[in-house]
Amino acid sequence: MKAGPFDPRRVGLGLIMGIAALLLVACGSSASPAASSSASSAASSAASSLAATNAPSSTGTASSGPAAGAPGSVAQITGSGSGEIDKATYDGVIAAAPKADDAMIEANPWAKAIKERGVLRTGGSETGQLFSLLDLETGKVVGFDAGLSQMLAQYILGEPNTELTVTTVDTRETLIQNGSVDGVFATYSITPARAEKIAFAGPYLISGAAIMVRADNTDITSVDDLAGKTVTTQTNSTSLTALQDQVPTATLQPYTNDAECVAALTQGRVDAYVIDQSILISDAIGNDAVKVVGEPFTVDPYGIGVTKDDPSAKEFVNAWLKTIEDDGSWADLWKATIGTVVEGDAPAPPVIGSVPGS
Amino acid sequence: MSSTTRVLFDEPGPRARRQIQVATAVSLLAIAGVIYLAVARFADSGQLAAAKWSIFTTPLVRTFLWEGFVNTMKLTVVSGLIALPLGILFALLRLAHNKIARWLGTAYVEVFRSVPLLLLVLMFVLALPPLGVNLPIFWKICVPIVMCNAAILAEIFRAGVNALPKGQLEASLAIGLTYWQAMRLVIFPQSIRLIVPALVTQLVSLLKDSTLGYAASFPELLRTANVLTARTHTLIQVYIVISLIYVIINLLLSYLARVLERRLNRTRVSSAGREGGAIEDTPVGGVLPMETAPGGAIMR
Amino acid sequence: MEIVLSNWSPLLDGLWITLSIAVLAFVGAMVIGTVVAVMRISPVAPLRAVGLVYVEFFRNIPLLCLLFLVVFGLPDIGVLFNLYNSAVIGMAMFSAAFVCESIRTGINTVQVGQAEAARSIGLTFSQSMRFVILPQALRSMVQPLVNVWIGTLIGSSLASVIGIQDVTAVGQNLNNRYAGGLAVFASIAAIYVVIALLSGGVGGWIERRVTVLR
Repeated sequence: MKAGPFDPRRVGLGLIMGIAALLLVACGSSASPAASSSASSAASSAASSLAATNAPSSTGTASSGPAAGAPGSVAQITGSGSGEIDKATYDGVIAAAPKADDAMIEANPWAKAIKERGVLRTGGSETGQLFSLLDLETGKVVGFDAGLSQMLAQYILGEPNTELTVTTVDTRETLIQNGSVDGVFATYSITPARAEKIAFAGPYLISGAAIMVRADNTDITSVDDLAGKTVTTQTNSTSLTALQDQVPTATLQPYTNDAECVAALTQGRVDAYVIDQSILISDAIGNDAVKVVGEPFTVDPYGIGVTKDDPSAKEFVNAWLKTIEDDGSWADLWKATIGTVVEGDAPAPPVIGSVPGS
Repeated sequence: MSSTTRVLFDEPGPRARRQIQVATAVSLLAIAGVIYLAVARFADSGQLAAAKWSIFTTPLVRTFLWEGFVNTMKLTVVSGLIALPLGILFALLRLAHNKIARWLGTAYVEVFRSVPLLLLVLMFVLALPPLGVNLPIFWKICVPIVMCNAAILAEIFRAGVNALPKGQLEASLAIGLTYWQAMRLVIFPQSIRLIVPALVTQLVSLLKDSTLGYAASFPELLRTANVLTARTHTLIQVYIVISLIYVIINLLLSYLARVLERRLNRTRVSSAGREGGAIEDTPVGGVLPMETAPGGAIMR
Repeated sequence: MEIVLSNWSPLLDGLWITLSIAVLAFVGAMVIGTVVAVMRISPVAPLRAVGLVYVEFFRNIPLLCLLFLVVFGLPDIGVLFNLYNSAVIGMAMFSAAFVCESIRTGINTVQVGQAEAARSIGLTFSQSMRFVILPQALRSMVQPLVNVWIGTLIGSSLASVIGIQDVTAVGQNLNNRYAGGLAVFASIAAIYVVIALLSGGVGGWIERRVTVLR
């Protein structure tokens, strides 16, 4: 047999060595922290989330009288901010956040386990405007939700050491239940149905969904005008269920992330985009083709998802939330993130445990 | 042009030549017109603004995309290297004398050639974790790709074996080799040479399959692009650049396949063993170097 | 299993959408593919170039990427299709490249002698094509075209990523709502396999019918 370049012995040997080498590389790299553990599917969204079966019972449909702690009416977009989170301010706010003393951590088994592990494993998003957006430079997420997770890590560990797993609505509860993550910070709306599977700490923010339309559109000014129109939102968000409840005649065309929804609106595929108000405002800044109209027509309380098996988890996180709300870190974080698009001071934080399910 | 069509077309006379010239001019104008229109409309919608494209000059974005690219390559190569021996295994199963082995091989290949890859990925990502099978993200996308491509590779190997003239097997049996010895020493080495271009083409298909890492949140190139669009709000530009990257890489791989095919056909043993007939319809012609269908399925 | 049985209605709707997208895309692909094949063998050089670029581009781009371009990129050039049409057009353009290659290969498998003989008895180009070359070419094209059809069917599952409620998307929804996801996905996989095997069988039957026994 001719021993040419495709001699089977050489080919076989080469294949075996190649497979061995690459398996080593692959195993080595897939053991690295960044996004190595389980689960997510195509619908990874930052904004609010879909209730598994039943609609959330806490949707207040009043257009301008939301529950205590809500941000109130939609801020005017008159150039109050650029929507860009200033890294220096943000890092400063995180660094100034409190750290727990050892006694408190020793007393709480959940926190103790995290301290021993040395890292806080979080579930969240990488593509959420204002709440949890990946910073290409540092590889870490930046935003309100991200900031809260980093503050909690700092509280327990002394530094903001977090390990993010990208989650979606399908995988959030599973990841908490099987212990892959310690807490989910993902504009996670508190509903009694979800509270049966996992525990919610908070609420830490009450938000609402608003409507974005093209700049030249004059017929849509409130949620009722959406009847019979084509509306987009992010897949698996609470806005989706809210729309199905409040305007059943609207045709829904969900997309997987914010940029796609805005593109669909500006390109004329849909007439309106409905999602959390702060996200809409951050999109509208600098984009003359769209505008935000009307008042928030839903009430979305966001909470931190933790395990239900260990009641000390919820206890600890609620205590920590109270601490940062009292010493002003919560307000500072709000100002540094959501405050870049919404005028005025930070609202009063919602009362912990005030929402059914929390 | 193939020899058939060359024969059919007469050498164009003066009138035909003029017609061809006119047609050439008209089509050139039409094509230029369409391209100009498309670009103009694109510019009108503001997508050609320098600001939107300048993000690609920042080293940040380039590094980010490069990492996505590296992940795609890693996924492709690892899946390919695992699928290859598996494909050989299933091909051997299908070629075995044992009925059960043949049935197993056929069942696997027929099922996994017909299942959409996306479905398998979704199964691994959504349906299996609650049952306890929770692989790291890389393997969540790698294993489904391997499963599907092993089936297709098995078919390619089998086609390679079947493309050899039957005389080879008969002769090896006649000189006293057992079936498996004949396979190992005579048939496989020759068929590997036949199918190497098809294997490289299958690699192209594998690379295209890697985009389904999108569904598994594996940070391969398409997924990286998605994160980038969320970060920079430049949806179209990012997708255009990514598409170009994919097309160029695949073009290079296809070119490699063609070069390999030409090289191998030059150095291979002459047509001593081939049955008669025109070049076009030897059994070898059946093992096509190019992808004959989306997904690479050949010779059902 | 009960999930599948009690939800057979949405599954059937999804299946209808899958099949309709695949069939429409395949028919479109045949039409476009034939046109491109003609362009590739035409004596007009620009048309040949366009055909070549078309085939090389659409064979080498991942289908998912193509669908994104069609859904989000085309509207900026002024061409806006709704999601269903975008999926059909995207898949049709994608498969057309493979149809074109199958046609060219099919024509190449016809022996040169046939073309020579046709010319020598005085048939013109179109007559030789119609009566001699194409009938023989079509016989050897059946196999690759069936493969293209199956590829189109399988590729249509990607339409679920851009939001169309085909059978894969329905499976995802069912998995979201109920627990036993594996059974749902396995049933949907079985549906695809059955349709693909049936298509393969029909293709084989067609091929046997048109084979000229020598």
